[in-house]
Amino acid sequence: MIYQLINTLDKTFHFKRAQAHCDVPCGIYDPSTAQIGALTVVRMMDLMAGLESEGVAHENSMARYIAVKEEHAEKVKHEIRVIWGDYIKPEHIEKHPELNDVVFKVMKLGSKARQTADRQTGVELVEAVNQFAAIFWETKGVKTKKAKAPYAPALEMVYPDL
Amino acid sequence: MLRLLKVTGDSMSPDFQEGDFVVITTLPFLLHSVKRGDTIVFDHRLYGTLIKRIGSFDPQTGEVYVQGTRPDSLDSRRLGPIRPEAIQGKVIAHFAHPTK
Repeated sequence: MIYQLINTLDKTFHFKRAQAHCDVPCGIYDPSTAQIGALTVVRMMDLMAGLESEGVAHENSMARYIAVKEEHAEKVKHEIRVIWGDYIKPEHIEKHPELNDVVFKVMKLGSKARQTADRQTGVELVEAVNQFAAIFWETKGVKTKKAKAPYAPALEMVYPDL
Repeated sequence: MLRLLKVTGDSMSPDFQEGDFVVITTLPFLLHSVKRGDTIVFDHRLYGTLIKRIGSFDPQTGEVYVQGTRPDSLDSRRLGPIRPEAIQGKVIAHFAHPTK
């Protein structure tokens, strides 16, 4: 109510602008970082499951895999959160009413992927992030295609068809 | 004195977003109480009128070091310290865009 009133006054009086500048041009959003992060989570789970060494070497490798899995699961959540919070507008939600549920799913699966070494959770995280990516590119008017990642784990990914 | 300004840009997101309005006080006695965490509006030689949060404060010179809320925000690493005379005012009220 107050906002609407001020906004109406602004159209007449043109209040001064205060800029909240970013260091890089605002508007650069891309879900690919989250997709790579989700793939990394699955890759780490695979490496953990296939680890055959013993003793200190085993523990060292396992600790490194777990640390990377933790980092990338959190990165996935962060990247999706930024796009959802800063880029997604009400009209996008209107057009894609499932979007909020997809984001919620990414958050939950990202947390679960940190808690467990269950590969299926990692795969579901990849799928949820792909679903988000498909919606994101649609809001940009960019067609997408599906193709297997050219590296392990070779899961099917959503890519912009540029 | 109170002044009304409109926010442009996203470096203060999610606290302040594009299209929000803020009220600043330009009263000197209120400005004297600026502290870490306060949001201020100030003039910058290169970037014009900016809105940022105070990250730290030099009590001897009165200069403040500012930061945004996002990692890619333009901050005092690029802007340098903000002199007291460049500060237009401190944000005391915020009217967020209803759809954000």
